[in-house]
Amino acid sequence: MLGLLWTRLCGLESPVRLKRAESTRRVLSMELNKDRDVERMHENGINTLDIEPVEGRYMLSGGADGIIVLYDLESLSQIPTYTCKALCKVGKGHPDVHKFSVETVQWYPHDTGMFTSSSFDKTLKIWDTNSLQLAELFQFDGNVYSHHMSPLATKHSLIAVGTKNPKVQLCDLKSGSSTHILQGHRAEVLSVCWSPRYDYILATASADSRVKLWDVRKASGCLITLDQHNGEKSKSSSEAVYTAHNGRVNGLCFTSDGLHLLTVGTDDRMRLWNSATGENTLVNYGKVSNDSRKGVKFTVSVGCSPEFVFVPYDSTIVLYTIHSGEKISVLRGHYNDVNCCVFQPHFQELYSGSKDCNVLAWVPAVREPLPDDDGEKSKSQLHLHPAFQDAWSSSDEEG
Amino acid sequence: MEPTLEELVESLTTSGEPQLNQEKLKQLKKICKSSDEHIKHVYHLLMTQLNQGHAEIRLSAFQVVSELFSRSHLFRTLLISNFQEFLELTVETDYEQPLPPPKEVAQKLKVLAIKAVQEWQEKYGEAYKKLSLGYHFLKQNKKVDFQDVRSRTVAERKREEEKQKRLENIYKEKAKKAKTEMEEMLEDIESCLTEMENCFSLLLPDPDQFTLFSNEGDESAGEPITQPSPKPGPSAPDDEQPCCSKDLPKLSAASSSHEANGEEKVKSPSKESTSDESDDDFEAVEESFIREHGLGSHKYTLDIEISTDMKVSENEDNTDVLNNLMDACKIAKNKYWPAVQSWIQVFTKAGISDDSLKCAIDLKKKLEAAIKKQKEMNIECKTRNGTAVVDSDEEDEEFEEVPEKEGYEPDIPEHLRPEYGLDTAPKSTPPAKKQKIHFRPQKPKRNEESDPTCAAATLKTMREKLEALASTSASSSGESSRDGAVQREDELSRAPVVPFGIDLHYWGKEQPTAGKIIKCSSQHRFWAPNELEEEVENKEVEAMLKTRYITFAGKFVPVTHKCKVPLANGSLCERQDRIKCPFHGKIIPRDELGVPVNPEDREREAKEKFELQAREQDWRDPELMREIEQATGQDLGSSKCHKKGQKKKGKKTKYPNLTDLKQKANTSRSRLEKKVFNTGSVKRVISAMNQMDQRRHEKFANQFNYALN
Repeated sequence: MLGLLWTRLCGLESPVRLKRAESTRRVLSMELNKDRDVERMHENGINTLDIEPVEGRYMLSGGADGIIVLYDLESLSQIPTYTCKALCKVGKGHPDVHKFSVETVQWYPHDTGMFTSSSFDKTLKIWDTNSLQLAELFQFDGNVYSHHMSPLATKHSLIAVGTKNPKVQLCDLKSGSSTHILQGHRAEVLSVCWSPRYDYILATASADSRVKLWDVRKASGCLITLDQHNGEKSKSSSEAVYTAHNGRVNGLCFTSDGLHLLTVGTDDRMRLWNSATGENTLVNYGKVSNDSRKGVKFTVSVGCSPEFVFVPYDSTIVLYTIHSGEKISVLRGHYNDVNCCVFQPHFQELYSGSKDCNVLAWVPAVREPLPDDDGEKSKSQLHLHPAFQDAWSSSDEEG
Repeated sequence: MEPTLEELVESLTTSGEPQLNQEKLKQLKKICKSSDEHIKHVYHLLMTQLNQGHAEIRLSAFQVVSELFSRSHLFRTLLISNFQEFLELTVETDYEQPLPPPKEVAQKLKVLAIKAVQEWQEKYGEAYKKLSLGYHFLKQNKKVDFQDVRSRTVAERKREEEKQKRLENIYKEKAKKAKTEMEEMLEDIESCLTEMENCFSLLLPDPDQFTLFSNEGDESAGEPITQPSPKPGPSAPDDEQPCCSKDLPKLSAASSSHEANGEEKVKSPSKESTSDESDDDFEAVEESFIREHGLGSHKYTLDIEISTDMKVSENEDNTDVLNNLMDACKIAKNKYWPAVQSWIQVFTKAGISDDSLKCAIDLKKKLEAAIKKQKEMNIECKTRNGTAVVDSDEEDEEFEEVPEKEGYEPDIPEHLRPEYGLDTAPKSTPPAKKQKIHFRPQKPKRNEESDPTCAAATLKTMREKLEALASTSASSSGESSRDGAVQREDELSRAPVVPFGIDLHYWGKEQPTAGKIIKCSSQHRFWAPNELEEEVENKEVEAMLKTRYITFAGKFVPVTHKCKVPLANGSLCERQDRIKCPFHGKIIPRDELGVPVNPEDREREAKEKFELQAREQDWRDPELMREIEQATGQDLGSSKCHKKGQKKKGKKTKYPNLTDLKQKANTSRSRLEKKVFNTGSVKRVISAMNQMDQRRHEKFANQFNYALN
């Protein structure tokens, strides 16, 4: 660190390098910190989290009880101990509250004045954040599993909605109606994701174990259907047999640069695809246990030198490097299946929501004074809290 | 030599005991204290032990864990880093991973673990985030009621108090009700009591009244006068028991005074007795007074025991009084007494101890006294006669002691005896004693005679003897004729009653047409042969007409003997089977202790017992038995099967102290399963079913619609 700072000071290296090294270090040292807490608001499992990209300060959470809560993640005081307060919530008393489980919440990418939520009550709702009023409502004829707005697009304001119906719907916020239908899947669409690189590129994952890439401007059909065998196995047969996984595909995530796409499926695999060519990069992540029947929200780190992916793995969250598939660490803290996790890029924090109704904050550990003097560390810890002391009885007889 | 860490952990966790061995625990702690490496090692060892599928191992491991948890920070961090798994293994947070058997131990483990988690949370919750997360997870998601563990006592106490209060209120209400009821009924009860009291005084004057008299009289001039209890009527015999002062012990001045209910010491002057004479009920007093003049001294102390079991007989004079008394008593017994009883109960339950309770108790006492008195009076109704006659000391022996009679036993006068065929036998018996003679009309006689306990049976045997005697002695013609008549009667009585039949019709005669049938050689209607009716003798038909079928069903004789095999509970088998007891086999004569009377039977029994024991050893696991014996302190007989046990000890179980999970419970179901699912029986069933199928196939082989199934 000091070396990096020195080189930075001397102008020997670009500031990006320092930033990258430090953020990487912080991601790797992520832990459950007793100083950071998230207020417990949900009575039921938490399905979805989203942090607004503008400031990275406000977080939305959607629970299986239909409640949406808005958290403030930043503390203005200098005290390290901070509990993320719930600023407001769309609770049971709200007239427009979702009747059933909220599956996805998302901020409007360019402003915190608006957010969207979709639920199993077959609706997609657009909310005004400040008044917490319902601004727009889209009705569908099946449970809504997932929706997504392009984080990038300025030329369109389309929300892709994956429902029980195999047709992917595109809702235009400008007109307030669904404009497109993307046909091609044969089972419910569990996850949709816009590319962070191109305005019009959309990826959809479905229970028919297929992942399709669409250009929404193209009327004839999808661009690519991802094939896990890269076309080798099924060269002779038709395109219909292209599959991305051997089970339902219930998670989609583009890397932050948009060049690659990660998918997870109920075959307990995670795959990395080249989003331009639709090629399976064949990175082996090992087993990624996943038996969710709904969509799984996982996330990637931003601004680290090897990029990382955080994937829910039963009641833990596992940290992999994206391109080598190496398992870096396991974050244990939840007591039930983790449904979603979201990365806060500014402070390298991770928030995860689980079926055990908890939202946990994984915060980088405070940099230790010196990495080598363990004795001093333990001593300082002793001063910190009496609970860290050993309590062996002094006499040998008692043991 | 110091045991290693592994050995210590293993021995601690596989002890099967609900508490840890303190010695070993100390050793373990000592080792752990020495370095962090040891703690890590112990942590892994304990986690593997916690993963064992046996609740006792888990319980012990958990106890070790909680010991170390409170001591080592490193151990805490290690455990908390894997707290999910720990909770799964101890608190059963995952329903798909239930705690292993045995059930009770698992339950205990769960309770202990929950308690421990709470304690840890209180102590270390702030410092260890995951611990508090786990605690909240248990509390909010698994709805574990931590409060319950501690505050149950408080809540319970509260609940109990409320319940008590409610009950009290109810009782108070009841008591109030009872009070009003009592006030209403008090009058009735009082009147009933006075009525009864009056009836008593009418029937039997209170002895206390006499003592009043005695108080008046001076003792120096006092001639002791016996005052037996008054007689209710002239017809009734004196019901006094013989007095203890019958023989008038001289100068027994120091005779003990007794309680009023037992005996009564009555001293009354003569002038009082004369006044008593005016009462026409008091004849006995007069008599005794007269008797007294024959006495030598005036200074007698007479102890007169007036028995309490007085008897009052009903007669014309006191019918109304008695009826009245009876009615009153009935009401008192059936209505008032239970009512008063319930009031007292209500009052005591409600905790009321004021006048009402006192009043109720008084009432109860009075009622009870009255009822008791009525009972003691032994009022006998007119309808019954023939009471036991008790002679008094004053009277001569007019009546003899007569034993209780059973049934109708008329006294046969001496001169009539010959007519009943009792001419000789009574001579041997003294005439004063009454011979038990039974005479009955003929018909019911028979079953009476079959009963050996009845007097008729003895009479019968006696008569038979007499007849034998008479026939041999060849007495006079008159006697013989009478004898013949007797014989005939006797035979008639013994003759069976049969339905009328053809054989009886021709009784003692030749049957003319027996066995003869007409044989037609031609069956044709018109053309008949010359010789018309040809009679042919048929033996079979003849036999049919001459014989009689008598179904011999025998007669039902009740079984009098019992099986009497000694049972396990110490009693004897009470079954009364004729030949064979379904549980104990053939019934053999046994004495009161159940020991066979015949020596060969005894021998056989001993042999059987031995064989049974030998068989029992097969299914009785001696080790288990010994364990049970140790636990209960009862001898189940494991020592008997010692030989087998030693053989089995060769394959010793690894952890003998743990509850054996594989051991099947000896339930009726398992025993049945053993029977039903053993290979032999299954094979038999299969073969039987195959046979059935085969048969069906053979039967319907050619019918296509059966062939398919």
